[in-house]
Amino acid sequence: MHDEKAWSPYLAGALSGIVLVLSVWIAGQYFGASTSFVRMSGMIQNLVAPERVAQMEYYIQVAPRIDWQWMFVIGILLGSFIAAKTSGTFRKQWVPDMWQEKFGLTTVKRSVMAFFGGVILMFGARMADG
Amino acid sequence: MKLIILGLITGILFGFLLQKARVIRYDKQLGALRLIDMTIIKFMFSAVLVSMVGVYLLYDLGLVELSIKTTILGTNIVGGLLFGIGWGMLGYCPGTSLGAVGEGRFDALWGILGMIVGAGIFAEFYPALQNTVYTWGDLGKITLADVLGINHWIIIILFIIAGLLLFRWFEKKGL
Repeated sequence: MHDEKAWSPYLAGALSGIVLVLSVWIAGQYFGASTSFVRMSGMIQNLVAPERVAQMEYYIQVAPRIDWQWMFVIGILLGSFIAAKTSGTFRKQWVPDMWQEKFGLTTVKRSVMAFFGGVILMFGARMADG
Repeated sequence: MKLIILGLITGILFGFLLQKARVIRYDKQLGALRLIDMTIIKFMFSAVLVSMVGVYLLYDLGLVELSIKTTILGTNIVGGLLFGIGWGMLGYCPGTSLGAVGEGRFDALWGILGMIVGAGIFAEFYPALQNTVYTWGDLGKITLADVLGINHWIIIILFIIAGLLLFRWFEKKGL
């Protein structure tokens, strides 16, 4: 299954490296994503129990607000959307190809696995400070 | 305000490149974990090698600051293992999950929801973890160059050589 529109991962990776260096130079910001999920979680909880959030140590360290990284993460979605739409590789899909080959079109199973995978992944990512 | 806009622009550029190289797909991420497709490793290592040189060059010129994370064996190892299990289940990592949604892979939305919940659960456990796993093997903010007592450019050159050998091996094996 050769994808002729794909860029070389070496080239795109090296260009990403240059973007990172410029970001550190211009904005003083290194790339990261997982902190934004903490902020998002705090923002959502702020809608129902702001007093509780204000007292929680982790949300004092990682305040529930929109910052550079939060916008960076939103930017990834937009950038990917632009690249996918302009190259005709946007494809609406709820079950990945590799999953489907192994387990069939099991949408519910895939969704449950993705959700709990996300829970465990983020717990680990925050613990390791990744 | 300026930082917010810079964040958005940087993210758009990065997301564009991630999509072009096809590294945000479940099949590519699982392909790496199953050791059958090294596309994402090629992308990551290329980015690391280039930024290593660029950032340290600017650092030596006094133009930027490093952002060194604390090494705590307990949290790094336990957290890393949990991250790996979750990554294998989800097939996207935190940043790429948003990129996956951008190209229509909507199963990543469940992962994003799960990750927000996971972050919330972690916040609940944080005080308890601080007395346990956070105290196991706290080595502080260390770097390889500091520990070995050598100039950081030696490490960088060794990494570049190792990276290029790895790339050559991948291409030979057709990975």
